Amino acid sequence: MSTRTRYIAERVLLAIPTLLAMTVFVFLLIRLVPGDPVQTMLGFRATPQNVATIRHQLHLDEPLLTQYIDWMKGLVHGDLGRDYVSHAPLSELLGNALPVTLELTFLSMGLALVIGVPMGVMAAARPGTARRLTDGFVILGVSIPDFWLGTLLVLLFAATLVWLPPSGYTPFTADPVGNLRYMALPVLTLAIGEAAYIARTTRGAMDQALGAPFVTFLRAKGLAERSIVFRHALRNASVPIVTVAGIQFGVLLGGAIVIETLFGLPGVGRLTVTAINQRNYTVVQGAVLVIATLFIIVNLVTDLLYGWLDPRIDAGAER
Amino acid sequence: MSALLALRDVSVDYGPVSAVRDVSLEVSEGEIFGLVGESGCGKTTLALAVMGLLPRSAQVQGGIDFQGEDVLALPEAARRRLRGDRISMVFQDPEAALDPAFAVGEQVAETIRAHRPVSGREARRRATQLLTEVGIPAAERRYGDPPHRLSGGMQQRVVIATALANEPALLVADEPTTALDVTIQAQILALIRDLRDRHRTTVILIAHDLGVVAQLCDRAGVLYAGQLVEVAAVERIFDAPEHPYTKALLAALPTRTHGRGSLPVAGGRVPDLADPPPGCRFAPRCPVRMDACERVPALTSREAGHVTACWHVEAEAAA
Amino acid sequence: MSAVAVALRTRRRLRGRAAVGAAILVILVLVALLAPVLAPHDPNAIDPSRVLAGPDASHPFGSDALGRDVLSRVLFAYRVSLGVAVGSVLVAMAVGIPLGLLAGYHGGWVDSLLMRPVDLLLALPALLLALSLIAIIGPGSGVALFAIAVIYLPILARVVRGSVLGVKGEAYVIGARARGVSRTGCMLRHVLPNSLGPAVVQASVLMGFAIQIEAALSFLGLGAQPPTPSLGLMLADGYQVLQQAPWADIYPGLAIAITVLAFTLIGDGLRDHFDPRGVSR
Repeated sequence: MSTRTRYIAERVLLAIPTLLAMTVFVFLLIRLVPGDPVQTMLGFRATPQNVATIRHQLHLDEPLLTQYIDWMKGLVHGDLGRDYVSHAPLSELLGNALPVTLELTFLSMGLALVIGVPMGVMAAARPGTARRLTDGFVILGVSIPDFWLGTLLVLLFAATLVWLPPSGYTPFTADPVGNLRYMALPVLTLAIGEAAYIARTTRGAMDQALGAPFVTFLRAKGLAERSIVFRHALRNASVPIVTVAGIQFGVLLGGAIVIETLFGLPGVGRLTVTAINQRNYTVVQGAVLVIATLFIIVNLVTDLLYGWLDPRIDAGAER
Repeated sequence: MSALLALRDVSVDYGPVSAVRDVSLEVSEGEIFGLVGESGCGKTTLALAVMGLLPRSAQVQGGIDFQGEDVLALPEAARRRLRGDRISMVFQDPEAALDPAFAVGEQVAETIRAHRPVSGREARRRATQLLTEVGIPAAERRYGDPPHRLSGGMQQRVVIATALANEPALLVADEPTTALDVTIQAQILALIRDLRDRHRTTVILIAHDLGVVAQLCDRAGVLYAGQLVEVAAVERIFDAPEHPYTKALLAALPTRTHGRGSLPVAGGRVPDLADPPPGCRFAPRCPVRMDACERVPALTSREAGHVTACWHVEAEAAA
Repeated sequence: MSAVAVALRTRRRLRGRAAVGAAILVILVLVALLAPVLAPHDPNAIDPSRVLAGPDASHPFGSDALGRDVLSRVLFAYRVSLGVAVGSVLVAMAVGIPLGLLAGYHGGWVDSLLMRPVDLLLALPALLLALSLIAIIGPGSGVALFAIAVIYLPILARVVRGSVLGVKGEAYVIGARARGVSRTGCMLRHVLPNSLGPAVVQASVLMGFAIQIEAALSFLGLGAQPPTPSLGLMLADGYQVLQQAPWADIYPGLAIAITVLAFTLIGDGLRDHFDPRGVSR
């Protein structure tokens, strides 16, 4: 087995215990709630009868391990349980909400990269005004809380200029233009904050790459400056950039939760918040599971991306 | 033989530091010219000046005529076209010269593509051919290897292949074997000579090791603290050195004729280049210094092809 | 310009940044501590005549939907938010630093035993972890403080661990052992003080993030609960009246932004001195 294949296998195998541990944590969520979670969940709808029924359905009267195994079995079959308040199966609820969150996070990360990477490259390759502007942008982007930025953008684009709607959602499949109009402000909000981090990392990594000794030899070969910056330096800088993008995706998911709430997007994040406020524990459990799994998968993909980008990993060298 | 490269009173200053002062010399087509001196004497600075790779903070004065044209007067774009095409450079540390993120073969091929209008396939074919020519076994297979997979000697061969890819008229080799094992050293030097014989490339070999110069060079110039003190055919440098510094260098070489005891060492230290002596920079340490040494001696010749800059030598000859 | 000159200039600029950040922070802390003295009005005083009134001489930040003075409210809310932010990171340090120290110093099975659970905490996105904890325990600013501490504990532990790994191999540490200093003594007297640098830098940056997370949690209604004031709550309220009274939304947000800015500047500036190897993030 080549080292590269071994690296991929290693990473995938490492992700599994993390996934399992996460499921244990999520599983314990309901069970750790002080008092009777079912009672709290049902609220005024609780009668001794349906509390007992639901407790039985959730296997809460069985030993912990059996519960876990039953639940995991259900998960593998795609059964995440049900929402006892609305009576909808969770897989349906989450299935509807997930695409919204995915659209939001991926568009935001994409836009952040499109803004941040070129900015960082320019700042490193052309010191002076470009660098100072990038510095300023980075400092602002990092300091401003994303949801506050969201409100400011709403103030500007929705309230004052009335170009874009402040909230609401329609699926892409139903109305692509409408969908993008609703997504524009949320995506912009998240992207600006992320772009600041990415620009900062890109600039640092490019500074390092451009200062590396092999760059002198590249110049001695008579290569055009553009080739040196974009082909060689950027390629060498890509590992730290991907690293930060991966880490920032986690932050982005967190930010998405707040932004969805702010802009009224029916994603998994907003679902989580409403469920917590309503003490709707099974929904909380399902939503947390989905978001956490998404995060672990993205981290895995990022890890795999390193292996492809940095040939030294291939040889088993220490990162 | 015509002079391929002529330096006319070249001086290089980094602010207050005078790295090179009024160096004039000519290198004939097809010869291997050695530039000798201890660390910090300005050899690399001169090489970079010829290549046009000095940092922006360096001030260069004088003229550097390459194939009859003063390259210092050329715009940067024109100088870039010369680099890697008609003038190439090989650096001391091959690992530092190669981009760790790209395959070695590709790094040779891109030099070709930068200066010749060839297809990717043609460049690759030529690059593979070059790799074989410099002595890399199984070049086809190793084409795709990243640099860290190759030994130091192999890496340097790749660097040489890159430098010779476009059949340059002039190759500047800055201590190409210093970072390599002694056994590999001999191989690389033989390779350079072999390539010179086959391609009629003129070579400027920079070294601090006189042994290397003796093995490979036709003529040699001796630099001390940024000043050129002696130039002659290699045999004459060893058999009949004129300048006191050259004599001291040779005396410090351990040979069988030395008795037991310590090697003779020139007293004193290299001058501070931010505040150098006004005349001959070796004067403070010179065993035969005179009052006249307050002024810079000109390069004068007593035998054809052998010039020295020393008032004492002139005085002796006149007597 | 030579490499040395560039390095010196960067140093000076960073020290300048740290100084500016520190100055801002000192002012902010004073403002927070002196809120009762500085506030021109009672933050909870409802004044129907001033509902959504704009900024003027007596109410520099305007009034909110209940006619309350925004400036006074911001001052008091700031105390809570800053308190939670700083408190949470201090708690995270109190737990995370010893963890990282022990794990890094002893290595081997101690390292695995201590760092495995810590690493698992990093498997969840930060805000999600905080929300999960709040889901179990219930909302409140105390819970928020605890949750944020839990989020940042692993980061600090890892930073200290990384730093310790570097320091424990240093000559003066080995020298101390050779002089007969006990392992624990060595750990506490030599390794610990020299490993704290990056942790301090990291803590500074994290305090900036912490105030953002506290605000986010409160904004969602899961952090500070009324009547406890919080900048996040003010932002949520302010958003409701965004068009009519933007100042109710702008000033609380500005307070957060300036605080984060101060912490970031300090962290950046300190990094050069305390964390030359860049162990912190």
